[in-house]
Order: sequence, then structure tokens, then C-alpha cells
Amino acid sequence: MSEVLRTRSDGVRRAVPWLVVLAAAAVLPLVSGDPTITYLATTAAIYVVVGTGLNIMFGYTGQVSLGQGALVAVGAYATGILMADHGWTFWAAAPVAVVVTAGAGTLMALPAFRLSSWYIALVTLGAAMAARSLLVEFEGLTGGWSGLIGIPRPAIGSRELGERDLLWLVLVVNVVLFVMVRNIVDSRLGRAMMAVRDAPEMARSVGVGPARMKLFAFACGGATAGMGGALLAVHHGLVTPDDFTLDFSILFLLVVIIGGAARLAGPIIGTLLFFALPELLTGLAEWRGLIYGAALLVLMVYAPQGIAGAWDKLRARFWRGRVPAPAAAPDPADDTAEVGPPRGEPLGVELSGVRKSFGGVHALRGIDLAIEPGKVHAIVGPNGSGKTTLLNVISRLLRQDEGRVLLGAEDVSRATAERLARRGVARVFQTPRLLGASSLRDNVLLGAYARERAGGPATVLRLPWARRERADLVVEADRLLAGHGLARRADEDAAALPHGEQRLLEVARALMARPRLLLMDEPAAGLTPRELEALGRLIRAIRDAGTTVVLVEHHIELVANVADVVTVLDRGELVTSGAPEEALGDARVVELYLGAPA
Amino acid sequence: MIADILVAGLVFGSLYGLVAMGFNVLHRPTNVVNFAQGELIMIGAMLMAATPIGGLPWGIAVVCVMAVVAVVTLAEERVAVTPVLRRSSHAAGWVITTLAFSLLIAEAAGRLWTDQPSTVAPPWPLSIDVNEVAGVRFSSYQVAVVAVAVAVVLLLGLLDRSRLGTALRAVAADRDGARLRGIDPTALTRRSFLLGGALAGLTGVLAAPLLLASVTMGLGLLIKGFAALAVGGIGDNRGVLVAGWVLGTVEAAGAAYASPGSQSVVLFAAMLLILLIRPNGLRGLAVQRHV
Repeated sequence: MSEVLRTRSDGVRRAVPWLVVLAAAAVLPLVSGDPTITYLATTAAIYVVVGTGLNIMFGYTGQVSLGQGALVAVGAYATGILMADHGWTFWAAAPVAVVVTAGAGTLMALPAFRLSSWYIALVTLGAAMAARSLLVEFEGLTGGWSGLIGIPRPAIGSRELGERDLLWLVLVVNVVLFVMVRNIVDSRLGRAMMAVRDAPEMARSVGVGPARMKLFAFACGGATAGMGGALLAVHHGLVTPDDFTLDFSILFLLVVIIGGAARLAGPIIGTLLFFALPELLTGLAEWRGLIYGAALLVLMVYAPQGIAGAWDKLRARFWRGRVPAPAAAPDPADDTAEVGPPRGEPLGVELSGVRKSFGGVHALRGIDLAIEPGKVHAIVGPNGSGKTTLLNVISRLLRQDEGRVLLGAEDVSRATAERLARRGVARVFQTPRLLGASSLRDNVLLGAYARERAGGPATVLRLPWARRERADLVVEADRLLAGHGLARRADEDAAALPHGEQRLLEVARALMARPRLLLMDEPAAGLTPRELEALGRLIRAIRDAGTTVVLVEHHIELVANVADVVTVLDRGELVTSGAPEEALGDARVVELYLGAPA
Repeated sequence: MIADILVAGLVFGSLYGLVAMGFNVLHRPTNVVNFAQGELIMIGAMLMAATPIGGLPWGIAVVCVMAVVAVVTLAEERVAVTPVLRRSSHAAGWVITTLAFSLLIAEAAGRLWTDQPSTVAPPWPLSIDVNEVAGVRFSSYQVAVVAVAVAVVLLLGLLDRSRLGTALRAVAADRDGARLRGIDPTALTRRSFLLGGALAGLTGVLAAPLLLASVTMGLGLLIKGFAALAVGGIGDNRGVLVAGWVLGTVEAAGAAYASPGSQSVVLFAAMLLILLIRPNGLRGLAVQRHV
């Protein structure tokens, strides 16, 4: 397929700059006779390893870790202890160090299960401080303040690796790591991470458990820090607590931010600029602390996407100047595009005695409601009547104070939103929640999270079956995009899309889940009459394909057109429920909308 | 032994509680937890220890220190908080910028002052000489520190019930909504930063005689203050003071029964344990977010 071929050649073209950097680093020791340069290059390359791990945690998942230095220390000490004290080889010690540090990283993120995300920054900071005092406390194991000395170099057979060989080893590690991280980022896991970062509630509604995703990110970041620590230990030949100060942790954060968070190249650019440069210009080294602080401040305010981001922006502007802009008119929607069949029978919902209050505001006061499977069930009512709260209780983004919720035959009164997504419930939000910095195609693919099977190992190694699964889903996503008239913009960033089309993208993402129950929160708001008509047709088509639709909507005309059943809410209470003509014609409902008759 | 632990716990816990109250004051209108709070407190202590301000009569000196730290905090609000909140492109942006500001302060302090810790005498008539009453050993200064912490909780409580406090709550709940009611969130943010800075200055002044003033004291206070904040519940001034006392006591017990070097580990472990059991803090109310 030409599609595949294009991506192939694109991939080769994109790989060129990387290969150039890699080759330059690899021949450096052959060209330069100065051993300091080789030493420095090795250190920098190790920092890239650690920075790449932090990029997963901070860049892609949005978790600020101030404990990266401590994790590197764990890896370095594990390697040092095993090699210097127990005579292990590097090849045996390094994997152990990686596993141990991945464990330490996961441990550090455990509070993520219960706490909101900024706590992570301070918890990791505290963990870093505690780790340092532990290093000193367990003197017998770690050598206390004086640290561990006499860590041998890695050896192949009886030949110990020299300075140059070590650099090449680190470069090999970098290449392997780079490919692995690229595989993760460009997969359901990567999309899930970004969803956790950009819109946690949306993440849950497509089946991503934010806490589990953060743990996974910390395990990845921990493993890479452990690898970096192992390499650092054999590179220096000794480890001391003073190597792992808070500044060391902040260095990595800075490297990621300055290079460009959530960009593969970020840590590489950042390390070159922020570590190698001052190291070479010795005059700058003295001012490093001030430079760290000022650079972080300025970058975060003026260039949060870092150098890689600024470069992309510049290039986009340059390209737009040369290539004629795509036609402004959207492609006509291709109504014949088929939506895949739902994952199973349509799901009904039954609520009994559901109450929900926010402080003194009673949003729902004892709702009893049965939503029949396979129908379009509209929920209408004036502002503040509890419609969205009801939808949130059904989708489990909110937990009711009292009452029961049944999904099909299953009691989900205590279930989480992510579990419901796995059962086949999808959601369209009132204000679009998208991955702004990802392509339209990736946004739609995110919808398939719950039914895609590739886990961590299959993703990292790109196993053939995972690759096939992905290719099938891409075809499906492109078909959905075409069905919504978005095919031509499939590779553009979602943030660049106008509001109306962002909504369509949300719908496409929800359909990508092949839902058995679709919850839509005011999908008609802000649509033109033509778009409205298309939406009506779409909703009916979704129902006819065998999906229950719950529609919260203000647009009475749309409701009258598509709904099989209409429920009217007022101030948290159910007014009436029935066929559209009946329910909307009810005297109480007319009064609600038009005021009491004179 | 147990009495000693309790006294140390109450005294240092009061400091941690004061640090956490500073977090609370700044958090109200901005939802920002200030990572530079520890360094602001350090400035307060160092102004007393290493500048001519320390030579002034104590009452005047305290006012001067509080004013200086308040101005530094206002500068932080201008360069490190408001700009990122306005361009909130990254949800964690303020974590990075306030941390960056703290690095700048630490670096500047390191260049201005020696890294030699110095003692600061408590104001007359208080002293750090130990008295013994019924087997409990404490100094008059320690009593004063605990009393000040309690007084600050009460004052902040009064402030909370005033018009200003109501406006702050409105801004915290809905920034744009508050603006529609004629409340200026920016002005309130600035006032909160001045107040929070003054509180940090006071905390530094109080801490100096107990901890030895040094340019590196900020980080430890930041982390322990955070622990008190997390355990006590964000926004809850009484809660954080009680949490400070609990954690201070745990820390003192750790130093006494395990080893002095392990106290930060013990404190950290205690915090994690409490949070795993009660994620919203000791008295915390669960807050559910809307969609």
C-alpha cells in the first residue's frame, strides 16, 4: 500500500539527522585525541539515557519527578555493590540495577493512586532527600559518605572495555532506548499517557486508568534511570552520595524542558546544550545554578515546548509559506462510510434512587430511570436541572451519594469509569477534550484503547501481531475520519481544528470504541443547521447499528427528531419520561420552558 | 525521654505548621503550591543572622524582615506565577517556575552570605536556656514559638471570615465568576503573596534561634512543611498545625529511637503511610471535580 510506503520513506528521511548525530558522537574519540572529550561525551550520552526516561514521565505523562537523581543513585549503587563487593560482571549487574530501579520508581509513584498530580513533585523530592540519608545510614552496604570505590569496567571475556568502547556501549544503549521509547510513544500506551497528561477525565472515559498509567511511566523512567546509573557507575569507577544532589535531579528536568518535553529529540538537544556546552566553556560552569534557574523560568513562560517545539513551529511556518494551503472547505462527509459493529449487544442502564449533592447543591434528588437498550434516549431540562451530573453518574466519572446504577445486568454502583469503558461505554464531552498536540488520527485511535490488546512488552518490541492490530485500527480510524469529512486533515494537530470539527472528532473517537452504549453531552451546541442535520442522521445510524445512545441536549428540535424516549429533568428531579411527543407536550414541561400560562 | 520528644515535636511541628500555613495563604487564590517557600523562609532567617537588620531592636527587625520577604514573594508572583497561570499551556508549569525561582534565591543567597550556619539569639526576655518544670524540660523561647503558631492560626481564621476571606474563597472556586462580581483576582493574588511572604519571613525569624540560620536550611523546611500540608489537608490551617505537631513528634521519636540521621526517612515514611490511609489529609474533606 502506498500509505505504508510513504510512511516508510518518511521514516528514513526523518532518521537521517539522528544517524548524523549518532555517527558524529561515535567517531568523536577517533578524531579527537583528547581523552577528556571522550569522557565528557560518555557522560553526556548517559545523561541522554536518563533524560529520555524522564521525558516519558514528565514530557508525555506530565508528572514532575524531582527524584530522578535519586533513581540514578539507586541504579549506580546497585551496580557498584554487585560489581565491586560481589564480583559480578557488568552484564549481570546492569539488568539487576534496571529492575531494582524500576521498582524504586514505581514505589515513588505509589501515592499517585490516591493523590492529585502535583503531589508527585513534592513526594519525589522528599523521596530524593530520604534516599540520600539512607545512602549515608546504611554505611555497611554503601560506604557512607565516602561511597563505593573500585568499580571495574565492563569486560568482554578478559578484555576490559576502554574509554572509547564505553562511549560506544552507551551509544548502543541510546539507540535501543530511542527505538523503544518511539515504539511506546507511538502506540496506545503513548496516547494513553498523553491523555492522562492533557485530560484525565477523558482518559478514564476511554478506559485508561490514570494511576496505572502513571505507575507505568514511573516504571519506565525508573528503568532508564537505573540503566543510566549502572553506566555512570562503571564510567566513573566510583559512586558517592555527593554525586546525587538535588541539582542533579533538576539538571534532568532542565534537559527535558529546554530540549522540548514530549519530543523524542528533546533530551538529546537539551543535554548537548545544557550539559556539554557549559562543560566545554569552563567560565560558564561557575554560573550553572543561576543559569538553571533563569533558563527554567524563561523557558516555562515563553517556550514551554522547548527548542524542539520552537523549531517545529518555525518549520511549520516555513513550509506553509511554500506549499499551497489546503482547500478551506471541508471534504463532504461520506455518509456511506460504515461504522464497525458494536462490540456486543446494546447496553441498557437502570438507575434507582440516585442522589448526588455538591455541598449544599442537590444536583440529583432520587432519580429512578430505565434506559432501554438499543434506543436513543434523550435527557432534557433547563440549565442546572442535573442532566450532566446524571450523565457523569452513568459514566462513573462521579459517584452517586445514594442509589444504585445497573449497566445491563451488572451492578456498577461502585465501578470506575475506566471499567465501564472496557464494558463498551463511550462518551462525548460537552467541551471537546482532545490530545491537542497529537494528530487527528491519533485522537481517533485513542478511542480504541479499551479494545486494543497490545500491552507493554508487545508495544516496546513491536511484535508482529501488535503491528497488524495497529495497522487494522489505523485503517478503521481513517475510515471514520473520512466519514466525518476529516480525512484530509488526518495528520494535522487536533488543536488546530475549528470548534465544530473538534466535536466531530470527539464523536469519531467515541465511535472508534465500537460502543454498546454511547453517552453524548450536548453534541449539537454550536453546530450549523447543515451539521445539525448530519448529526441527527449519524445518531440514528449509530442506534440502527445496535448501540444505545443517551443524549443530553438543549436542542429540542434535534431531540424530537432522533429520540425514541425523552426524559425531562428539573432541579434534580424527574418530571416525566416517555415518547417525544408525549413528554415534550406534557403541560409541566411546557411550563418549565415557557413559564406558567397566564 | 517521652516528654523531651513531645516538646521537640510541638516546637518543630509548629514551625512545619507555619510553613504549611504559608503554602495555604498562597494557594487560596491561585491553586499554586509555592516550591520557593522554603527559600523565602531561609531569607527571613538569614536577614536576622547575617545582615544589619539583626542588630535592630527585635520588634523593628521582625517588621523589616517580613517586609523584605513579602517584597521578594511579590516579585515571585510577578515573574514566576502570574505569567504561567495566564499561559497555562502545561498544567504543571507553575511547579517548574516556582522551583526555578527557588533555585535563583538559593544561588543568590549562596553568593551573598557564607554557607557557615550561624546562631541567632532569641529576643529578650526569652531565652533558649532550658527550664525544668515537673520533669519536662523546655525553654521560654520554645513556648513562645508554639504560642505564635497558634496565634497565626487564629489570625488567619479571623481573616478567613472577613470580607477579604470571602472574596478569596470566591476566587478560589471560580476565578472568572468572581471577576463578574466585581472582585479583582489579580489584586487579591498580589495581596495573598504579600501576606504569604510576610508569614514566610516571620517563620524564618522564628526558626533562626532553633535551627541555626544557614543558606541551606530552605529545602528541609520546604519538604517538612509540605508533609504537614499534605497530612493536614490543603487549605485547612488548624489541620496543618496539628499535622505539623504529629509529624514533628514522629520525627523526634525517630531521632531518639532509631538514629538522628534517619529522621527525615522516618518523617517521610510516616507521611506516606498517613496519606495512603487518608489521602485527603487527617481531617480532609473529599473534593470531587466536575466534568
